[in-house]
Amino acid sequence: MMTVPEAKAMEERMIADLPWLAPSGALVLVAVVAVVLAVILPRRRQGVVAGWVAGGHVVAAALAGWVWLDRGFEAVMEGTLRVDGLSLALTGLLGVAGAVTVGLARPALAGTDREGEFYAVLTATSLAGVMLGAAADIALLAISLALLGLGSFVMTGYLRASTRSNEASLKYYIYGTVAGAMMAYGLSWWFGLGGSTALDTIGRNLPNAPVGALVASTALVVVGLGYKAALVPFHFWTPDVYDGAPLPVAAYLSVLPKIAGLVALARVLPLALPDDAAGWSTAIAVVAAATMTVGNLAALPQRNVVRLLAYSSIAQSGYLVMGVAALAASDQGLPALVYYAIAYAATNLAAFAVVVAVQRERGSVDLAAFRGLGRVHPWWTAALVVSFLSLLGLPPLSGFVGKLEVFTAAIDAGQAWLAAFAVVNTVISLYYYLRVIGPAVLPGEDSPPHEPIPAARTGGVLAAALGVCAVATVGLGVVAGPFLDLANQATALVAR
Amino acid sequence: MPLLTLSIAFPLAGAALAALLPARMTRAPRAIALGSALLSAATLVATWARFDSGLGIQLVEEATWIPGLDVAWRVAVDGMSLALALLTVVLFVAGMAYGVGPRPMTRAAAALLLLLEGSTLAFFLAQDFFLFYVAFDVTLVAMYFLIALWGEEERRYAAIKFFLYTLIGSLPVLLGIIALSLEADANTFDMIRLAQEKPLAGAGLGASLVFLAFFVGFAIKTPIVPFHTWLPAAHVEAPTAGSVLLAGVLLKMGTYGLVRVNLQMLPDAFERYALPIALLGLVSAIYGALVALAQRDLKRLVAYTSINHMGYVVIGVAAAAAAGVSARGRELAIDGAVLQMVAHGIVTGALFFIAGFVAARAGTRDLDRLSGLMRPMPVYGTLTAVAFFASLGLPGLAQFPAELQIFLGTFDVWPAVAGLALLGIIVTAALFLLALQRAFLGETEERWLRLPDLGARELVALVPLIALAVALGVYPRLALDIIESSAWLVGASP
Repeated sequence: MMTVPEAKAMEERMIADLPWLAPSGALVLVAVVAVVLAVILPRRRQGVVAGWVAGGHVVAAALAGWVWLDRGFEAVMEGTLRVDGLSLALTGLLGVAGAVTVGLARPALAGTDREGEFYAVLTATSLAGVMLGAAADIALLAISLALLGLGSFVMTGYLRASTRSNEASLKYYIYGTVAGAMMAYGLSWWFGLGGSTALDTIGRNLPNAPVGALVASTALVVVGLGYKAALVPFHFWTPDVYDGAPLPVAAYLSVLPKIAGLVALARVLPLALPDDAAGWSTAIAVVAAATMTVGNLAALPQRNVVRLLAYSSIAQSGYLVMGVAALAASDQGLPALVYYAIAYAATNLAAFAVVVAVQRERGSVDLAAFRGLGRVHPWWTAALVVSFLSLLGLPPLSGFVGKLEVFTAAIDAGQAWLAAFAVVNTVISLYYYLRVIGPAVLPGEDSPPHEPIPAARTGGVLAAALGVCAVATVGLGVVAGPFLDLANQATALVAR
Repeated sequence: MPLLTLSIAFPLAGAALAALLPARMTRAPRAIALGSALLSAATLVATWARFDSGLGIQLVEEATWIPGLDVAWRVAVDGMSLALALLTVVLFVAGMAYGVGPRPMTRAAAALLLLLEGSTLAFFLAQDFFLFYVAFDVTLVAMYFLIALWGEEERRYAAIKFFLYTLIGSLPVLLGIIALSLEADANTFDMIRLAQEKPLAGAGLGASLVFLAFFVGFAIKTPIVPFHTWLPAAHVEAPTAGSVLLAGVLLKMGTYGLVRVNLQMLPDAFERYALPIALLGLVSAIYGALVALAQRDLKRLVAYTSINHMGYVVIGVAAAAAAGVSARGRELAIDGAVLQMVAHGIVTGALFFIAGFVAARAGTRDLDRLSGLMRPMPVYGTLTAVAFFASLGLPGLAQFPAELQIFLGTFDVWPAVAGLALLGIIVTAALFLLALQRAFLGETEERWLRLPDLGARELVALVPLIALAVALGVYPRLALDIIESSAWLVGASP
């Protein structure tokens, strides 16, 4: 039992730790105020909530920068949270990406029922992502994962009148609950074998556990995080959920929970199983290979661009997780993951932004809706070409530098076979990425005669979000230096 | 003044300018395209004036880019780079003078041509692997759109095939680059340092795998049989100027890479595999000639002769890498190979123009349907005859000194290979003479009697290339004076 002076000292330590939690605190405040604003403002003024939430996300990102520069890295709250390069980079990324998502969502949601609440839920979900990436304690890990799932589930089902939206939401919920329960079960084994909820204590004891228990419990934990990151074989929910959810939510799900899940994986595995105990690196490498292959092959026949992007994002998870697979053997693994995550977020949000714009104007996300886009909307088309070529990994776009980084990490970690696997997958992916770009750019004799398509008002907000992402997609690649430096510094993890 | 950087920057800036022009300025895109290309040419001519053929790599321009990876904007020239960069600007100016797509040239056409020119020059001038790879892939995207937008009937299929094959080639190159840079003392993308350090010396498994990765990529680009199947489709379906640039410039990226990376950075592995590679080159040379012999379509015929001529380049490079070659033979082989790249670029560029011109007039390139073209079109016929003779290697024209040097160098180490390669020359001579006889001499059919001879725009594109083919044939020192500094490629320090 803790004595009163000890408890007092602990409280003081925790209060002194609060500045490191400024970004998370800001998100809590933003969410609470957003709920209040959503209730008191009339429906036509709900745009204020959107502005508040978008601004709040940007402030959280800025606070992450402040903590990084002014406070430095620290394990806070008695070691349950790691505020270090990895989690701060994630916070910054989630802040910016969250604000962009609001920009994508606002034109679609304006004037709908409960618009303000949507933004509040989005903020809470972002907060859960931030926590998941910083958690160094299995209880906090489980709570963050549950909150992340809950928020995603509510946003997916936002279109209450749409059966597809409801079905997607339910599917997400059931899958998520089962995966979360499996992870909680695995964590309870870790608690038993490791004797603590703190991951570093677990890491001291777990490697000595019986191999069977060790492998089984670790596999269960990976299920929960792999589900968030849409890793094979936990990916089945992805296409249906993206397709049924409101498009901006699909964009959000393809970026935020996925990256948070991968960051958590990159933190939890080396902490709980130091020195590649139980050979988890190889297991993750195999998962990476399977994920990229399944995603790419399944994307080939898709004619619905959202489903195509869903499978593409599964494939991208496969490339991203190469960074996790490499990090035990190579110090390039973690920087590769961080840089690629940033590049992927910009690229995938840009791709989704174009799809959102096309869906608003043409009412469809079928491949046919993209025919002849270049004539009517040269700028959208430019963003489409840039983002899809970046997903393919062509230089000098950011997706290329990301692939360069993960390939380098894999080869450096002695997993050249995985890099070769990724190369074959990249070739496969050319087919479906070109299937969207081709008809959009090339005037086709096979396409139906051009019905004059009215250039609908897309809303300046959407255009701004699209512009930011497209510029970032190119800029992060051409001026990769500072971002690679940032990714390198993000690997200065705090140990305790 | 950073001349090399400017030579790349002019076309790229021109591309951006052309893309952003207001639509109503219909004549501006062509003016911008030609203007930027000429400025770029001027900077390269100025570089030529400053070039010291006694040195290897020189005139280095460097600026930091991604310091963490030791990636920098590094451009420099040696003899091979300068010769190919000059070839590039000549063919681009000719291609732009002729134009692609609808006339007057559209903004998109001007922008894509300039993007292609800038990235091609960046590829030949790059001395940093990051820039090298970026340029390699950007040319791919620009060429994909040129074929897909303004090619012939099967353009979509040909464009995707081109994209796919080149991507399949470029990704192993990327893995090779990563492996090489990880092996260097301090990880670097600096190609000059890697060429001097040769981090993967020896011919162990690692070096062999990296060698193979690069070789496959460059073999697809060159193309070497059996990696050639993309070439006929892309060359035949591309618009005329696209085929000119594809065959004249882009194919050289393959053999350039073979010399720059495989030969220069992995000499031990190359030495080990020199004979098999020479044999692949031999197969390409003979196979290309034989398949060309069977063609009725003039454009397709020219496309297959490219496989034949690039086969000689591969033989020359392999001979220069071989173990038993004498210093003199090595010099002859490598200089001949580089000279052949330049000569083939000029001659094949001219040949694709020739095939395009007749298709634009007669609506066909079928050698069996055309006849007696010399009578209605004497200028066209004469220029064609010169180009045909140049391509079959007649002395006094561009390809003769190049092929002679390659054969002499190869004879030094593998007499049998050199002898068999001569068979290719006999077949090409036969096929060009047959083509000349079928389509240009003899009775003129009624329907071809009123075909107009070449117009000003066509003459501006074609005549300089023919003139260069003659000049290089009569006075090969014109190019050899630059190229011979490439002695540093085969091991001599710069």
